[in-house]
Amino acid sequence: MGWEILWSEAPSKVNGPQARQFTPCIKQINFPTNLIRLEVNSSLLDYYTELDAVVLHGVKERPVLSLKTSMIDMNDIDEDEDEEKFACGMDALNKQFSIVTLREWPTNGYFDKLPYELIQLILSHLTVPDLCRLAQTCKLLYQHCCDPLQYIHLSLQPYWARINDTSLEHLQSRCTLIQWLNLSWTGNRGAISVSGFSRFLKVCGSELVRLELSCGHFLNETCLEVITEMCPNLQELNLSSCDKIPPQAFNHIAKVGSLKRLILYRTKVEQTALLSILNFCSELQHLSLGSCVMIEDYDLIASMMGAKCKKLRSLDLWRCKNITESGIAELASGCQLLEELDLGWCPTLQSSTGCFTNLARKLPNLQKLFLTANRSVCDTDIEELAANCTHLRQLDILGTRMVSPASLRKLLESCKDLSLLDVSFCSQIDNRVVLELNANFPNVFIKKSFTQ
Amino acid sequence: MCYGDDACFVARHRTADVLGVADGVGGWRDYGVDPSQFSGTLMRTCERLVKEGRFVPSNPVGILTAGYCELLQNKVPLLGSSTACIVVLDRSSHRLHTANLGDSGFLVVRGGEVVHRSDEQQHYFNTPFQLSIAPPEAEGVVLSDSPEAADSTSFDVQLGDIILTATDGLFDNMPDYMILQELKKLKNSNYESIQQTARSIAEQAHELAYDPTYMSPFAQFACDNGLNVRGGKPDDITVLLSIVAEYTD
Repeated sequence: MGWEILWSEAPSKVNGPQARQFTPCIKQINFPTNLIRLEVNSSLLDYYTELDAVVLHGVKERPVLSLKTSMIDMNDIDEDEDEEKFACGMDALNKQFSIVTLREWPTNGYFDKLPYELIQLILSHLTVPDLCRLAQTCKLLYQHCCDPLQYIHLSLQPYWARINDTSLEHLQSRCTLIQWLNLSWTGNRGAISVSGFSRFLKVCGSELVRLELSCGHFLNETCLEVITEMCPNLQELNLSSCDKIPPQAFNHIAKVGSLKRLILYRTKVEQTALLSILNFCSELQHLSLGSCVMIEDYDLIASMMGAKCKKLRSLDLWRCKNITESGIAELASGCQLLEELDLGWCPTLQSSTGCFTNLARKLPNLQKLFLTANRSVCDTDIEELAANCTHLRQLDILGTRMVSPASLRKLLESCKDLSLLDVSFCSQIDNRVVLELNANFPNVFIKKSFTQ
Repeated sequence: MCYGDDACFVARHRTADVLGVADGVGGWRDYGVDPSQFSGTLMRTCERLVKEGRFVPSNPVGILTAGYCELLQNKVPLLGSSTACIVVLDRSSHRLHTANLGDSGFLVVRGGEVVHRSDEQQHYFNTPFQLSIAPPEAEGVVLSDSPEAADSTSFDVQLGDIILTATDGLFDNMPDYMILQELKKLKNSNYESIQQTARSIAEQAHELAYDPTYMSPFAQFACDNGLNVRGGKPDDITVLLSIVAEYTD
């Protein structure tokens, strides 16, 4: 039991970039489902591409199913009886844990000659499902496969559709030494309960350094409380798109003073909680506040960052809709180590205030700067970047009408490490200019969206 | 002289029929900006929002606000400004909900009389309220009204009510009594009759616009403002004529 492939093909390059409609002929299936997954292979693309819409066409009447076929639903995944079809031994483990009888042999053959560490090393190349399957073969390998040393770095994201409370329970005893845990995408639609998650962290949180919980829609305030209490050594926390965590709950994060990386992209974190976090988490090096719409005053946030987060190296303020030049000034003065800064879609930043010039002069270590859809970026700003930020590797100035080819040439000449320059929708930079710049600066990918 | 700066749309979603007109402000032409871009994009965006059902029939200002916000989110840096008038007929409640920003507008005619009319929103003579996106260097100098500044009204409508939505090209050249005269000629609610009447109204306004001696409503208003002018006002004329009728699929 696994996923039924409705359509699959290797990617092929299209003749010239163009927006198009793609309508594959999908396979007819004989079971109803409420879950469809689209996987996109981007390996042949020059640049990012966008799906504008997905349309599902269908008929109103449900097809009559023959009595023999079984209905398979997301919720039925663990109850599959057919052992032959296991795609993931995790289910087998869940079911068979209590009834597995391991056959007894007098010796383990050659395995008895191998040092314990060597077997561990070999096993370290196996995926988690394979480890689970291998664990069922014999007592020796069972012991090896359940050794916590195999579960120091664990990513359950590839198996997101199958992980539930039972899985976590079975993994608990093995994850006592876990340091990196990726539970992104898991647990939704009721698969993981708050108590199941809490129980797991109580047993396994003590050594946790890195916790990825992107798109964890089941996470609530209790979960956040448990994380901050049970993981005293936490340095990296990713709560990207965890939209059910209430605004005030983020206050708990301030307790984790050792945090170096915090991703709050698309969450409901509110002003006072964030100020508290910034105040107490002075080790922060990487912070994402992209699309955090509940923050009322980004200038205040920036001011706090400038005062307290001196070690900040990357900062994502994408769509932070009310940051102004005064916030930028405080940020630039206080966070001198900044290497990456995303100010995309921040319409309240006006070049005429000198904010970008200020940034360029105060942040010589800048490597990546995103000024996406800021209509006021002008030649002066580009020239200041050329003069002051010579380590620049990526620059995005999408959508400005005020930048000319001449200033771009200066930038390209000065910033030898520049590898990505996005000039999409810049009205003074047409395809001819891009071709010319490409010819003169072949090491730089100059991106210009064709959808103009 | 047609400038091509007007735009309009007609769309339907479930229980609501929505009409919209937008008049691109011609002054942008002097700065190298095509005024029809803004009005056209605004109307197309509002149409899409309606077709996708992303609106509340009783809140036409919401359609304008959402449409305008989408224009601001456009990756291509759009420039220009326009008036806007949105009229929503909620078939289930038999009510008409309107939002008007600027000097486009609508009339509701019942039994040969105007029973509802929009008000013109002007800052000063010949300068209507307008939604706009200015170039960064001109921000603060260019007139830019918020969609929330639109006038909104709601009222019941009856079978047979005639709703005329138009840009100022019509109202500046044709006073209400002339419009009513034309509407009296509407015999039934066939699509062809309505089409015919709308056309004749627009054509008449167009003719009057080029009559140098005619005392048009525009000329009258100009005189009231101390400007000694006479004649019609050449402009784009957009007329959407609709009648409240029995619903057929």
